[in-house]
Formats: sequence, C-alpha cells, structure tokens
Amino acid sequence: MTSSSPSSTASSAVVSVHGLTKRFGKVTAVDNASFEIQPNTITGLLGRNGAGKTTIMQVLTGQDFATSGDVRVFGEHPTENARVLSRISFIKESQRYPDDFQPKHVFQSAPWFFENWDADFAAQLVEEFRLPVNRRIKKLSRGQLSAVGVIVGLASRAPLTFFDEPYLGLDAVARQLFYDRLLADFAEHPRTVVLSTHLIDEVSQLLEHVLVIDQGTLIIDEPAETLRGSATTVVGTRTAVDAFVAGRDVLHRDGIGGLASVTVGRLDADERREAAQAGLELSPVSLQQLIVRKTNLTEKEFETQS
Amino acid sequence: MTIPSTTSSQTPTTSGPVPASAGNPHPMNRIWNAARLNFINKWTVYWIPLMILGFIWLINMAIWWIIDANVSGSDRQDAFQGTQWSGASFYVFVYLLVIGVQSMNMTFAYALGLSLTRREFYLGSSLAFGVLSVAYGGVLTLLSYVEEWTNGWGFGGHMFTSVYFGAGPVWQRLFVFTAAMLFFAFIGAVSGSIFMRWRTNGLLIAGAITMLLVLGAIALVTFTQSWPLVGEWFVASGPHGVVAWTLIPTALAAIAGYFILSRATPKG
Repeated sequence: MTSSSPSSTASSAVVSVHGLTKRFGKVTAVDNASFEIQPNTITGLLGRNGAGKTTIMQVLTGQDFATSGDVRVFGEHPTENARVLSRISFIKESQRYPDDFQPKHVFQSAPWFFENWDADFAAQLVEEFRLPVNRRIKKLSRGQLSAVGVIVGLASRAPLTFFDEPYLGLDAVARQLFYDRLLADFAEHPRTVVLSTHLIDEVSQLLEHVLVIDQGTLIIDEPAETLRGSATTVVGTRTAVDAFVAGRDVLHRDGIGGLASVTVGRLDADERREAAQAGLELSPVSLQQLIVRKTNLTEKEFETQS
Repeated sequence: MTIPSTTSSQTPTTSGPVPASAGNPHPMNRIWNAARLNFINKWTVYWIPLMILGFIWLINMAIWWIIDANVSGSDRQDAFQGTQWSGASFYVFVYLLVIGVQSMNMTFAYALGLSLTRREFYLGSSLAFGVLSVAYGGVLTLLSYVEEWTNGWGFGGHMFTSVYFGAGPVWQRLFVFTAAMLFFAFIGAVSGSIFMRWRTNGLLIAGAITMLLVLGAIALVTFTQSWPLVGEWFVASGPHGVVAWTLIPTALAAIAGYFILSRATPKG
C-alpha cells in the first residue's frame, strides 16, 4: 500500500492524464481522456451534469480508482499517496460531513492537513459569507453548506485546489464574493486551481484554460483566449449571410423572416472586412454559447439540465 | 464570530506563490491527526456517553431504592444478589460500536475530503478506538471501585461490578472493560467499512454469513451435547479469560476492516 516513488516526467504539468477510462459497471463515465494541467493556472472543467467531471476529479484526488490509463499528479500516482494528496484540496459539491459536525469543527480540523492554512483568511471569509459556525452542518442551508467548502478550499491554499460546483445554493452576491476572493488570493498566492462549473459565463473571465467533457469524452482542451475568438456570430439579411457563410463550418443557425444569425468559426481580419462590406454585423460568441453549440444543446436545455 | 485557532504547526503566511511542495506528508502526524478527527466533537465522545451513563445510574438508584423501601429480609437479599446480573452498563459498549460504524461511514468521507489516504484514516481511527476504549475502560474501572467502596451506592446494588465484569484486581478489570470496548468498536468498524464498500447488499451478506456461523456453532455444541462443557468453560475462564478470547475476533475484524476500506469509495 506504499505509494510509488517519484518519477521525473519531462513535462512540468501538475496533472497529466493519459488514456484515462473509468467504468461503473456497464456505464463508461470517462472514456480515454488525455490532458494536462499547467502549474499556476485556473482551469475550467466544464460540461453537463453526468458528463464525467466529478469522476475525473475523484480519480485525480485518489478518491476513486481508474479503470485504465495513467494518471500523474505532481509526477506521481495520486492513489493512496500522501506525498501527492497532502498538496491537494478537493472541494466536492457532494462532500459529506460527520453528523455531529458544526462548521467550527471543520475549520478546527482542516488546518491539521493543509500546511498553508490561513486562519485569518478563513475567519474573514466566515464573516463575509455570514456563515453560522455553531450550527449543525446538517441544519445549514444548501448555500451555507457550499460556503463551508468554499472557505476550506480558499483558506487551505493547497498547491492544487479542485472546486467541484462549489457554489450550489449560493446567491449571486455570494458567488461574486467567491470569484473575487478566489481571483485576489490567486493573484497573491498563485497556485493551480481546477474549477468545475456549469455557470460558464460567470467564470469565463477567471479561466485561463478550458477543458470540456461531454458524455465521458474530452471534446475541448484549449486556452480560454483561443476559445473566445474561435467563433463569431454573423447577423444580417438571409441572402447576405448565406452568401458569406457558404463553405464554412456552421456551428449554429437562427433566423426570423428574412434575417439570419449564423455562428461560424474564427474569422481573420480580411474576412471581417469582407463581412462589413456585405453589410453584416459580427458579434463575439460567449464561452457558454460556444460550449453549448459544441455539445449540441440549446442554451435553455443546458441550464436546466446542469 | 470566531474560529478556534489551530494548535498544530502553522507556517506564517507569506505572500507569494504557493510552492508546489507545500504539503505536510509526515506520516505520523497525518495518522495522529486522522485519529483526532474522531474526537473533535467533545460532546459526542465524552459528555453524551457520560450523561447517558449518569442517567442509567440514576434509574438504577431509583429501582434499588424502591426495592430497598418495599422488600425486606431474605427477599431483599435475593433481590440485591440479583442485581449482579445487571446489564445496565451494556449501552456504553454499544455506544462504541456506533462510534465505529459512524467513523467508517461518515468521518471516512470527510477524511478523504481532507486529502487523507484510506490507510492513514484507518490506522488513525484504529488508534482513536484504542484511546477511547482505554479511556472508557478506565472510567468503568474507577466506577467499579467506587461501587465497592460505597457498598453498592448505599444499597448493595451492582452496575459496574456485575458478574460479567468480575471483581478481580485493577488490571483485570481494566483489561475486561477495555478489551470488550475494543471488540465492539472494531465490530462496528468492520460493519461500517462493509457498508462503505458494498452498501446494503454487503451488510446483508455479511449478516447472513455471521448467522450461519453462529448457527453452525450452536448445532455443533448441541449435537455433541457439549453445553455443560461450554458452561464450565465460561465459569473456569472467568470474565477476563472469556474477554481475552474476544481479542481474536477483534483482531480479525480490525484487519478485515483495513482491507475492505482500502478499496472503498465514499458515494455522494
């Protein structure tokens, strides 16, 4: 049961995954996924519910076992490996706490395991999230329960932090507070953060890299910057739009009467000029829209299912 | 609102990047801290069991008082002889069983959430069960002496000096109480890990196997007409002798729990 010895890999990646597959009985939750996560970045792990996000994080943090594939975190296998796990903080949406626990017990015990724990920061966050620390965790609201996790995840300052849908039940103000504190603390103490979420537009400004998983398959693995410019919506009269997009990959098409709105891939400067001359309007596509297009769903469907 | 400050070693907060090596993988620290997770709530591990014990003791006192006030002569003597068969403190042992179950069932999920390995959690929790067994055993041993010194709390009653525990020397009493506590704690731990690994089906199958084993043993003893021998063995071994034998199933449960939990995954 002793952990593997450190192995030197050529890459500087904090996480490197090759051909990861995880099956639960007949269900393939993660299918042959390969990706890397670079140090001191905020990576978004995006996808619908049941897409396999949590499963991937469970395997990376040693909470679940891979069916096949090679997973390295800090260059080592994470399973039952204290050297790796002691550097990880995993905030899981479905985290369970002992029945008799109050938030104060969590904030008392978490520092035993996170060397960089900042008690003052934790106290400040408790104030800001208005978390009652002397109430049974079982009796907390969904939002307060999420706040417990968010506070542990931020104050632990682990070199590798996973937030799995950390904001369930948090209102808009509290969510903004979380994003603000995450960004500020990240700027001051850079570390590797993986954020799994379905509120893509809310976090898109935070993300430097985006991984999108759909039905267990990794479909996007790109820097957020590249992704943001990777699609454009062309709006204008139907005939002008059709003429312009002819021969291009169409991601999405909408139209009312004689007007059409079509989403296509990246356009260079010349093409933009050409579009302008044809009297077409160009508008950027948000990360969320783009991902929804790529996962073949209407936005509404996406939000209700997530 | 205040947060209890931590007693463990804390590096002063320095501004700057979090070094990728900033973990605290020292194995003994992590195992001991895993043990501490089990007694972080003082109410659960100290005060509530003591309060229940106190309440049961009060009820017993009341019963003894009723007997004392209404029965006299040889009947009274009979009655108080009878209190030797008291099972009043049995609940403390069941309480430890529940602690064992809850630890594997809930503290486990929390411990993994704090990035402990299963191994660290199990070794730490076993250490915690050991500490609690000795602590509870010590309290019961002390109370058994108080019971003697006060001549059965003034009535000649028995709660901590019942025949199951014996009235041997101090080490013997401490051993009987502690070993019995350990037995219940690890039966709880192994049940909890079976549930964590295989859920309800696992518990049903484990229960069925246990019942078949017990039934087999009963059949064996009955068909060989050995019940008198069994009785003699109990009498000859005395409480500490019988309890010493429970160390075998205790150890088996502890080892089985380790391997069962080593592949278990907390479900959301």
